[in-house]
Amino acid sequence: MMGDILFVSLTEGMSWVENRRELIEEYIGGSGLAINLLHELCPEGVDPFSPENPIILAPGPFIGLYPVCSKTIAMFKSPLTGNLGESHAGGGLGAALRFAGYDALVVLGASPKPVWLDIRGDGEVGFKGSSSVQGMSAVETVAVLKEPEPDGLQSVVAVGPAGEKFVYYANAVVDGYNFFGRTGLGAVMGAKNLKAIRVTGCGRIGVEDLDGYKSLFERIYEEVVKTGKMRKYHDLGTPQNVLTLNSIKALPTRNFKSGFFEHAEKISGEYFADNLLIRKNPCPLCPIGCKHVAMLRGFFADEHEVEVVEAGYDYEPVYALGSNLGIDDPAGVLKLCLLCDSYGLDAMMTGTMLAWATEAYERNLVGLEETLVEPRWGDADGYVEMVKHIVDMPNEFYVSMAQGRAYRGLGEDFLMTIGGVGLAGYHTGLAFVVGTAIGARHSHVSNAGYSLDQRHLGEPLDPVKTVETLVEEETWRCILESCGVCLFARRVYDINLVAEALAKLGLRRSVEELKETGRRIYALKYRFKFREGFGLKNLKIPARLFETPSANGRIEPDDVKKALEVAEHRIKELVERYAPAV
Amino acid sequence: MPVKLVVNHPERCMGCMTCVLVCSREIYGSLSVKYSAMRVFRDGLGFRVVVCSGCEDPDCASACPYEALKPRPDGGVELVNPDKCVECEDRPCLDACSMKALRWDDERKRPIVCIECGVCAKFCPHEVLYYGEVV
Repeated sequence: MMGDILFVSLTEGMSWVENRRELIEEYIGGSGLAINLLHELCPEGVDPFSPENPIILAPGPFIGLYPVCSKTIAMFKSPLTGNLGESHAGGGLGAALRFAGYDALVVLGASPKPVWLDIRGDGEVGFKGSSSVQGMSAVETVAVLKEPEPDGLQSVVAVGPAGEKFVYYANAVVDGYNFFGRTGLGAVMGAKNLKAIRVTGCGRIGVEDLDGYKSLFERIYEEVVKTGKMRKYHDLGTPQNVLTLNSIKALPTRNFKSGFFEHAEKISGEYFADNLLIRKNPCPLCPIGCKHVAMLRGFFADEHEVEVVEAGYDYEPVYALGSNLGIDDPAGVLKLCLLCDSYGLDAMMTGTMLAWATEAYERNLVGLEETLVEPRWGDADGYVEMVKHIVDMPNEFYVSMAQGRAYRGLGEDFLMTIGGVGLAGYHTGLAFVVGTAIGARHSHVSNAGYSLDQRHLGEPLDPVKTVETLVEEETWRCILESCGVCLFARRVYDINLVAEALAKLGLRRSVEELKETGRRIYALKYRFKFREGFGLKNLKIPARLFETPSANGRIEPDDVKKALEVAEHRIKELVERYAPAV
Repeated sequence: MPVKLVVNHPERCMGCMTCVLVCSREIYGSLSVKYSAMRVFRDGLGFRVVVCSGCEDPDCASACPYEALKPRPDGGVELVNPDKCVECEDRPCLDACSMKALRWDDERKRPIVCIECGVCAKFCPHEVLYYGEVV
């Protein structure tokens, strides 16, 4: 039934369903639903690793119905940022939950023993002991728990050793190739003794206006498949950005020391697609298949003793584990990507920490007794060893690496994080920096500052106008992510189409009302952030961003300062107006 | 020339499940992976796509003791007597199909039969499925 939410208490080994239809009617679903539940369920000032920290997984109502809609929104308190933990993952999880009959899954408490959850949508939840898969790679755990011929749409989300050991940026892997990344959902699952969740959606999703829905489906499908609006994602996938950004000197290289990587060709989307691509991996109901999967082939002994593994790759991991570490060997990049996926580590943040460690070593701030392996730009094998140490944490240095912090506060000026989160690979200019700082989840896709920079190459951006544009964009994206629309389809799903598609499901509202709902969701996110102590005034921006010229020239510290002041004021105004404290 | 549904290029399947879901929409008026006349699942590096073969002399129909399934003139079967299925415990039609293309609707207690409408092929982005005249 619309609005059914499955609650699971790990502490008590119990589950129950509550209907919150009124929240769907008011806030649509996805992030709109999740942020409301987070306010209700997450106690103020809670330790992110305490059983009291809830995990909310909410797929939007377009999932399972409209093309290219698959994103499940996870919300929790983040160990990495200390405030709003928000992460979006594709894969089959959202559709599986929806076909199981739920608009959200809420996981409460902590299990006394390691478990995984088996959810089939019949009201029952299986609490299965996970002793035999503890310590296992996240990717392998997914493969082990998936049934070969499931009786419906099945999805598995699992954590790897990084999550089990509370690495602050551990992710949760969905179906092997999609991730709840960035803000440490994997660690929060690990703290709950929750290794995995398997959802099998055996039910149906009905539509109020079936004929109207079918013709709208066809229109959207045609637009996705037959126009060029999504070609980039289908053709080379996101790694198309490697050469695009390098050509404007915005491809972060060797810890953002430069925006230009001299060997970019070798790790470009073109190179991977022409030589190593074996498969494109779509989410359910997506004809695009943006997830590109490469074959990693090697010989482990003489006489051509061959081993072959698959590794997913995307632009962000290729930047973070490639150019930003000076690695020009595509196999080396893939090896590191696969290692992060297996351990269940956020690839971007892992790259950020490795790049910081390499520079700290280069400047003699830390030595071999800390790093244990000599970090060297371009040395993929050395980085492989370091990634293992991040998870094993053999000394204080690696404990700090696993927490995403500069060891003993050394070299903070070149620790490339904002709000605790490792930067995405776009040294494009002012809007990227400001956008990352003010994005509710400190993600480059919160408000696409990088895109604003690229649309205004060579034209200086006004800090005040930049803030206005970014906030406007983010409030709109709050609607897309509440519906479940993949942001890669944002050029297809404009506001009129979203309103029309919602109406077919019986959720009627005008374009103006939709905008208003977006502002309210945004304001609720920020109310949570402010409640947990976040502030823009004291937000640290790494000095390196001002030193290395961006695609739009040098970024002025005063412009960023001005923008953050304006943003703080503007966002507080929105919170007071749209999400006043009760 | 008969019109048929054929899995022409299984190696091109990405597993997007669009065909499965649009199928359920035609048959049941709602979307479902379980209540669909076709299946797609991972098989090694790729996917296996299972649809009704549209047999000229269908084994599933021959196996039915109640003549609930009737061969269609152009191949495949039609469910003409679903009331008989409700009482059927052994479901020999499911076993008879070597492709395992028939599935059981455990709500309505009857096999889920492909209606040979071709909507799955229409929404396949990679031409894995072909629906049209075959020689």
